[in-house]
Amino acid sequence: MTSEASGEATTTSEAAARTADLGDRGGADPDIKRRKLHVLEQMANRGIFFFTAALVLIAALFIDGFASLENITDVFHRAAPIGIVAVGMTFVVISANYLDLSVVAQVATAAVVLIGVSNNSNIPMAIGLALLIALAYGIVNGVAVGVFKANAVIVTLSTTFIGLGLLRWASGGSIYFGPSDGPIRSFGTTEIGPFPLSMIVLVVIAIGLHFLLNRTTFGFLLKSYGSNRNATRLAGVNTALVVVGAFLISALGSTIGGFVLAAFSNTAVSAMSSGFDFEALAAIIVGGTSVFGGKGSVLRTLLGVVFVSVLTNIMVLSGLGFGYQQMAIGALIAAAVSVDALARRAAGK
Amino acid sequence: MDVVDESDALPEDPSRTGDAIIEARGIVKRFGGAVAVDSVSMAVPPGEIHGLVGENGAGKSTLMRVLAGILSPDRGAVVVDGEELKAGDTRAALEAGIALVHQELSLVEEMTVAENILLGSTPTRAGLIKTGELKRIAAEALDEIGVSVDLDEPIGRLSVALRQFVEIARAVARKPRVLILDEPTATLTPTETDYLLDMLQRLSRRGLAIIYISHRIPEIFRICDRVTVLRDGRHVDTAAISDTRPQDLVDQMVGRQLALDLQTHRVPAEPGAVVLQARGIRAPGVDGVDLEVRAGEIVGLGGLVGAGRTELVRAIIGADLRSAGEVTVAAGGRTRRVAGIRAAVAGGLAYVPEERRTDGLALTMTVAENVALPNRGRLSRSGVLLFRKIADFALGLARTVGLRPPEIRREVGDFSGGNQQKVVLAKWLGRRPDVVVLDEPTRGVDVGAKVEIHRLVKDLADGGAAVLMVSSDLPELLELSDVIHILRDGRIVGTLTAEEADEKLVMSLASGEATVAA
Ligand SMILES: Nc1ncnc2c1ncn2[C@@H]1O[C@H](COP(=O)(O)OP(=O)(O)OP(=O)(O)O)[C@@H](O)[C@H]1O
Ligand SMILES: [Mg+2]
Repeated sequence: MTSEASGEATTTSEAAARTADLGDRGGADPDIKRRKLHVLEQMANRGIFFFTAALVLIAALFIDGFASLENITDVFHRAAPIGIVAVGMTFVVISANYLDLSVVAQVATAAVVLIGVSNNSNIPMAIGLALLIALAYGIVNGVAVGVFKANAVIVTLSTTFIGLGLLRWASGGSIYFGPSDGPIRSFGTTEIGPFPLSMIVLVVIAIGLHFLLNRTTFGFLLKSYGSNRNATRLAGVNTALVVVGAFLISALGSTIGGFVLAAFSNTAVSAMSSGFDFEALAAIIVGGTSVFGGKGSVLRTLLGVVFVSVLTNIMVLSGLGFGYQQMAIGALIAAAVSVDALARRAAGK
Repeated sequence: MDVVDESDALPEDPSRTGDAIIEARGIVKRFGGAVAVDSVSMAVPPGEIHGLVGENGAGKSTLMRVLAGILSPDRGAVVVDGEELKAGDTRAALEAGIALVHQELSLVEEMTVAENILLGSTPTRAGLIKTGELKRIAAEALDEIGVSVDLDEPIGRLSVALRQFVEIARAVARKPRVLILDEPTATLTPTETDYLLDMLQRLSRRGLAIIYISHRIPEIFRICDRVTVLRDGRHVDTAAISDTRPQDLVDQMVGRQLALDLQTHRVPAEPGAVVLQARGIRAPGVDGVDLEVRAGEIVGLGGLVGAGRTELVRAIIGADLRSAGEVTVAAGGRTRRVAGIRAAVAGGLAYVPEERRTDGLALTMTVAENVALPNRGRLSRSGVLLFRKIADFALGLARTVGLRPPEIRREVGDFSGGNQQKVVLAKWLGRRPDVVVLDEPTRGVDVGAKVEIHRLVKDLADGGAAVLMVSSDLPELLELSDVIHILRDGRIVGTLTAEEADEKLVMSLASGEATVAA
């Protein structure tokens, strides 16, 4: 809200705040603690711009094979599904409900439904079915957390198990292969310059969600709820609806992410999305959305996705195996969460 | 009179600094570019109760947080026993014997009284908590301040006032030599306040240095030996209490003349029809209460802490579940039953809760956003927020309540306690509510702002709102209320009109020393 509104009314207090800002940066008083606070806040808020730029630069300079068109396109192909999941899940994180673990089950379900059910002939029906399943996930997760006040981690862990169990039962655990041509295949392979279609879908969704978060009453209530759910309830807000909304958006993101993943890999299997939960979370909090809730940005999540994807790509190119990649994601989450917590502490909150 | 040179980083008066336990030397603390504390020095010898006063945002809490090592100053030092303390190190401050009772309660609701008292200094052996030892120390601390409460009770079940005493026990359990209390009486009724003040005098006679912050001037004159006045982060004066008059203190705080006794009772308009009606209300702590509030009327609820006042209003408006009873609101030509808080707010209710930080404000959001929350309906069009409208709206309300600084894009958590309280009020004022429920509306607000807020409450009533108010501040209750119900043990034990009511009568009814045919 701050950034959007800043161009409007110019008040004396604003002018004061601007000079204050300048004073802080150009101040003659060399105080370590204050600078530390400043740096931490920067890292928690805007740091992702610099980190991502630096990482890309380092990769381009020192990693063989990174700066090729082929590789960049591949990075985007892999980033898009996780990105779509992450921008949706950002809403759950902002609501101060930690994360939505069930994205793992949802992505796989959407992929299997798209490829397995459509059989390349009835795509609209497959999409419709997958969206209905997303609706069910959003409502079940949202009602359990928003109405019954259950812990989101436990709830979504349960729905992950139920969902994956159902999926394995329904699919018999088999792998579905998509046909070698048709709309799904061509969606998965179309590229405009280095950008696959899926990346453009991600950007469009992110811009839409950015608008939803920053310009609409729903986004406002979500942040308010994430900041203090009690005060928000006592202001007469239907908080259950807000929570259900957050989980619905997360479910929608996971489902579209599942479509995109299936189209790219042209296969679908219930195990294909393992790790999506934490990779999405890493992108979200590296992007500066606070795990304490109430604050966050969809567009910075987008940058977080690029950061995480480039990091993974660097490790792949350097011949570091999956184990190293997992460790890196884990370390990244731990580091980002610590910076978030430290910034709050340093700010005296 | 002992005036400390504020332009110099070091105080010049050796006679004072020589025997002081704790000394602040030229403390400067900035937030961003704004200076919250500007070269302030003060010194407190053992056995002294040192008052610290100033308007909301004057820098009192910030200075105390520097002394307790929670904030590290941009310049200046904290000196204990002539030795400079490591800046911004809470543990060092604790070890040096400085204990701070925060302005805002900081206990963990799920943990027991005993666990809370020893939070952060839990006695352990080989990593295991020594439960017996824990309870012994906690009991000792409570004993020292003379408060009896079940050690195994979770904090969440205690009243705010009792929690305040547990906070103090927590400070005392650390065997401090300097005890700092930041507005400890803001939610206490006169009886508990008396008790607390006596206790502090007892502690100071044993050699404890005490720094005492309050907006209630009579308290300062009752217990303090010396008093320091801050204004806009600067040290204005330090004087012996015997050389000072209340009026001087207030003038120094606000930097101009301010009439102290504006406390004239308003002339209530002819009360209108019943707007808020509650019948047979029962809830935890509330034992069958009927009451009604008419349009244009201010109904006060008095009583001791634990009498069930907060529980009663929360049950009435549906913030908490009630086990029995019915509430109706008649406004705008229709009567609705109020089941939950959402229906109540939709029906025109404004609720200023007792605990602003947990129930009233989203601290990580801006003033504009907090103010917009209950008014979002008319600050948006088809679900899209109108930012220009929000900014104008919030700025107007910030001026109305005298928010300082009037920066509506600043996070609420960055404002001083009293200014946060003004934001809670601002939030609801913009709605032109039909029913206003206020629980300690001026908690932590300075003398000048209090006069303003009282005027706003009277204006609301004069504009036809039905006002129900809980206040532990007896002069406030007497000044504003047209009718006062006194609660004891969850029941109304007496009802007084504005003409009948006086401090003595209210207190004796509240404590059960007197009875009145209700
Ligand atoms: N964390 C913070 N970030 C930015 N500004 C702050 C922060 N904490 C306090 N301030 C500012 O510092 C100034 C002094 O605040 P402080 O809380 O010390 O006032 P106070 O004298 O305790 O007031 P009150 O009587 O309302 O409690 C205020 O202008 C306040 O807005
Ligand atoms: Mg304060």
